[in-house]
Amino acid sequence: MKRPIRFTVNGDVVEVEVHPHWNLLRVLRDELELTGAKQGCGEGECGACTVLVDGAPINSCIYPILEVEGRDVLTVEGLMSPEAGLHPIQEAFLEKAGVQCGFCTPGMIMSSKALLDHNPKPSEEEIRHAIAGNMCRCTGYVQIVESVMAAAEKMSRDD
Amino acid sequence: MRTFDYLKPTSIEDALQLLSLYGEGAKVVAGGTDLMIQCKKRLVSPNCLISLRNVSDLNFMDHSEGLRIGSAVTHRTLELSAEIKGSFPVLHDAVSNLGSVQVRNSGTIGGNLCNAAPSADTAPPMLVLDAEAKIVSAEGERRVPLTQFFKGPGRTILKPGEIVTEFLVPPPLPNTGMAYSKHTRRQAMDLPILGVAVLLSFEADLKTCVRARIGLGVAAPTPMRAEKAEAFLEGKIIDDASLGKAGKIAAEEASPRTTIRGSEWYRRDMIGVLVKRTGLICLERAQR
Amino acid sequence: MGELFVGKSYPRMDIEKVTGQAAYINDIRLPRMLYGKILYSARPHAVIKSIDTSKAEKLHGVRAVLTGYNTPEVRVGFLGDQTPLKKGKVRQFRDEVAAVAAIDEDTAEEAIRLIEVEYEDLPAVFDPIEAMGKDAPLVHEFDARGKPRRNNILPLPWKFTAGNVEEAREKSAHVVKADFSTQWVHQTCMGTSGGIAEFDVNHNLIFRSVTNVPFGGKDRLDMFLKGLGIKGRTRVLTPYVAGSFGSKLDTDIYEFILVLLAWKTRCPVKILFTRNEEFTASPPRQPTLATVEQGCDKDGKLTFRKVDMILDNGAYTSWGATTPSVMMIPISTLYRVANIEFQATCVYTNNIYAQAMRGYGNPQATFVVEQSMDQLALEAGIDPLDFRKINANVPYEESPLGLKITTCPMTECLDAVRTKLDWKNKVGKRSGRGVGVASFLHVGGGARVYLSDAQGIILKVDDEGKVTIITGGTDQGQGSETIIRQMVAEATGFRPEDVSIFLGDTEVCPWDVGTHASRHAFMVGHASLIAGAEVRTKVLELASKWMGNLINQDFKKKARRDPDFKPPQLDMSILSDPANLELRNGQVFVRDDPENPYFRMPAARILRKAHMVGTGKGEMVTAEAFYDPPNEMPGPDGKGNVSCCYTFGTHGVEVEVDKETGRIEILNYVAAHDVGRAINPMLVQGQIYGATVMGVGYGLSEEMQVNHGRVMNANLLDYKVLTAKDKVPIDAVIIEPFEPEGPFGAKGIGEPACVPTAPAIANAVYDAVGVRITDLPLTPEKVLAALKKKGDR
Repeated sequence: MKRPIRFTVNGDVVEVEVHPHWNLLRVLRDELELTGAKQGCGEGECGACTVLVDGAPINSCIYPILEVEGRDVLTVEGLMSPEAGLHPIQEAFLEKAGVQCGFCTPGMIMSSKALLDHNPKPSEEEIRHAIAGNMCRCTGYVQIVESVMAAAEKMSRDD
Repeated sequence: MRTFDYLKPTSIEDALQLLSLYGEGAKVVAGGTDLMIQCKKRLVSPNCLISLRNVSDLNFMDHSEGLRIGSAVTHRTLELSAEIKGSFPVLHDAVSNLGSVQVRNSGTIGGNLCNAAPSADTAPPMLVLDAEAKIVSAEGERRVPLTQFFKGPGRTILKPGEIVTEFLVPPPLPNTGMAYSKHTRRQAMDLPILGVAVLLSFEADLKTCVRARIGLGVAAPTPMRAEKAEAFLEGKIIDDASLGKAGKIAAEEASPRTTIRGSEWYRRDMIGVLVKRTGLICLERAQR
Repeated sequence: MGELFVGKSYPRMDIEKVTGQAAYINDIRLPRMLYGKILYSARPHAVIKSIDTSKAEKLHGVRAVLTGYNTPEVRVGFLGDQTPLKKGKVRQFRDEVAAVAAIDEDTAEEAIRLIEVEYEDLPAVFDPIEAMGKDAPLVHEFDARGKPRRNNILPLPWKFTAGNVEEAREKSAHVVKADFSTQWVHQTCMGTSGGIAEFDVNHNLIFRSVTNVPFGGKDRLDMFLKGLGIKGRTRVLTPYVAGSFGSKLDTDIYEFILVLLAWKTRCPVKILFTRNEEFTASPPRQPTLATVEQGCDKDGKLTFRKVDMILDNGAYTSWGATTPSVMMIPISTLYRVANIEFQATCVYTNNIYAQAMRGYGNPQATFVVEQSMDQLALEAGIDPLDFRKINANVPYEESPLGLKITTCPMTECLDAVRTKLDWKNKVGKRSGRGVGVASFLHVGGGARVYLSDAQGIILKVDDEGKVTIITGGTDQGQGSETIIRQMVAEATGFRPEDVSIFLGDTEVCPWDVGTHASRHAFMVGHASLIAGAEVRTKVLELASKWMGNLINQDFKKKARRDPDFKPPQLDMSILSDPANLELRNGQVFVRDDPENPYFRMPAARILRKAHMVGTGKGEMVTAEAFYDPPNEMPGPDGKGNVSCCYTFGTHGVEVEVDKETGRIEILNYVAAHDVGRAINPMLVQGQIYGATVMGVGYGLSEEMQVNHGRVMNANLLDYKVLTAKDKVPIDAVIIEPFEPEGPFGAKGIGEPACVPTAPAIANAVYDAVGVRITDLPLTPEKVLAALKKKGDR
């Protein structure tokens, strides 16, 4: 039996009819057509589905949908604004080539955002700790770490 | 995936009531980082999941005397707690490299322990901390030492209708050092090939051991204490030699298996090595 | 005049990948689309006694249930040794036994579970050596033509000989011989495999595919349609591709099954693999067993090399069986050696079968050759790095395989490692810390493995001064979308931001052999230079025709507004010859008078003027190129200059080995690479970093554990792709000899950094603790076991 739930996605309140056994990723992708978050494994191992719930990064592929009731979800689509354009993290991932095939990128960016929100000047070690749950097969992580460093720099300038 | 209902009680009473109402078909879920995957793979097929995430009485930490941790506290909360890092570093060691940040934001200590995997990262630390589980049901409550909590891979002493509400850890003795070592193939997103927690309390000389606790993960069908090795260490001067000997004793006590993640001989060897190394970290931490 | 765009680290231009807008196959939904699922075999080798699909067919929402018994028997694959859906018997756990299409994924999955298959087990064989035995069970009783088979050995006798190995061995001062083995590893793209097939009303197949060979894929699908008796033709569309690393080279079985399901239902059908399927049902890198023998003279000069390989082919044949064609390159040509014998035997077993993976056989071959090099250096008492230098390849030399080496900075690469690792102070200590080195060569200028190695492009310049390049290649993440813009801008005279790329549609794009063999940048670069020169010529011809007219128009306009305006005296005759004009940055100006503001204008104005002439004589600018490089298809003896240039490199690594746990820690890593010329240094580094870390995984952690034919670790927890916390401190050294055969001096660089990694690590482990691990990966368990055996623990 489907039941309606309400929560916030990227600042908008949404109401969706969901089956209780669904997970958040399925609802984001199939019901809300927010396909930025990806399914790479469906088992909470690759991190491609990472979104923020109340500011904390989680694997949306194993996050029970009913748990988002009343909460605030941020996906990669919510970072760019029509006025300000790309978010500094998005810019940095392009400038430092933290992107290759791009499949892990939305999740990687969301984990980076969660890190930088709480730790504006992370060390390389802290960055690697924060993105350890986001697997990337293309970059070897080097330029992703450089991207997050560059994003931190940009964001501190913007403040 | 099979369908199931998903219920979100907000109090322990409601959770217990739902549990008795739905009976065998229900499963208690906290963060869901294990159970949601098991459901997807059809390893379990409950009719209904009863979520403890919204039960605020299960989501607390209290370190006024020893440590009390509500069963629904996430690994991430523990990881970021200065109190845990300062006073119970063995637990910090374990939760800060359990899965990923994403997993730790959902997964809970109660879930990790009640799931009863031999590889549960929080089990060896909680074993060496002499933790007890507080278990409640419609009939009342009971306390069970963690040493008696695990029954086998995926099995605990929990009876139908019971929920673990919190874990209680007595205050450590003065002059105590504690640490957890996780032996893995890669540095993150991994289960331990072997997990070793050691807690050593010392005389005022910071050399002589008055209490030793050694907890092992993936060394037997359940997380276990290496009691013979502990007994050997108590009263001894802690150094390379005594810890090396304790490691060998612990390796003999254990009964590891060969799996795709590691061979029996290798695991046994690593018990010897890691008991020694983790003990040395305890010594250093106690002396700090 | 210097280059404006090539050689600079332009930021990546695939902006839609950071906003979540890039649509991968996962993200595409079509109206009326159904979801397909596949039922795989439950046995490694068995007769199919019966398949009961009745329950699945009755399930609400199921639109098709297909098996080998209700579909035409059309053979597919490189040797035609299988049909998409199996009939008669199964030969491996990944055999596709049935497939369904349903209205949603859950229903499709449920339907699969309702299919009942009855098997009768047959004796199975999982060891390639056993499979070669006389009494081994036959995996295939008949070949594709129906001829009975007598054994499990494939009719692919890979062989190459040069000189006289026997004689050379006699004369050698030192000889070493050893056995090695390499494991199955998986490409593990972060996006799983998938596709969408649909038929139009004229029975043409529209196939959304993650292939990196759209035209090769189209050929195979066209052939399949023909086999099915369907009259239509195939159009392949490629969306964003979530990694390839070789995995997208062959048309996979699920893709043929998609065609069957779409034809049956006449609806678009999508299959998207689960991660478990990705590991169990998509073909990984070929495992090998090798015996290597090498000799050198008293001065350390190589005298001969002999390599015997056995490849576990698995139950069917994909490109894995052809990797010896590339193994020949390092085996014959990595270092100078005159006398060579190589043979490889591919053997059917009841295991999973293999495909291409980054490096295409080169990682396996280099693993065995480079460890043998270290063994021989030790035997000869020469420092391993010096030993390699003695034997290093040199520029402009033809190798015994007929490879015509052009630029070759191998010595510089070796020296870079020597300096950066502080080699002489670290080598030979056996202190638990050690250094190791390994080099490679790889194709750097395409690879003629088909009769054509060509790349077609069309350049279209519109009247706003925007250039569109239409190309048949694909981007799987390597950065083509950025460097193609740089190269087209450079070649045409426009700016990178003026260039847009259209790819991924076989109906529109000109033919391309595929994005493989590190060839994309190389081929597009050459084609862009050809077509770009034509664009430039045409724009300048139009400029010569219209610039004077436009300048006078401007003067008139100004004069109307400002009565005092006096037009300057200009010698317009200079404009009459296009040879006097130049196009750069999208601006046309007079070459010898570049600062003159009157003789400078945006090309866009000229193009618009030429387009909108009002007389019926408008013109627009397009150009095309079909670049087929001057390389050769290898002959039956394996000889031929398969690539028009080769890329070289050396990796050096410093490790620390924990003697109690066997764990290997990488302390320093130097990756010195000959890239010809870096079109975009940042993106070249990205390829080196990414491939090196993949190579470290190959060396240390990655392994598909296949037990009696079954993949035991089919998930990302147990298949150990490295995480961000597994830091490899890589110093990427880019060496740019400027390759005359390459576009802008460049060579291909997509694959090779994963080639020398594993042997460099294995050699470093030996240097650290004196044990040689000959089978990959170098797990702590293996290292510890070897240390114990040596009595070191």
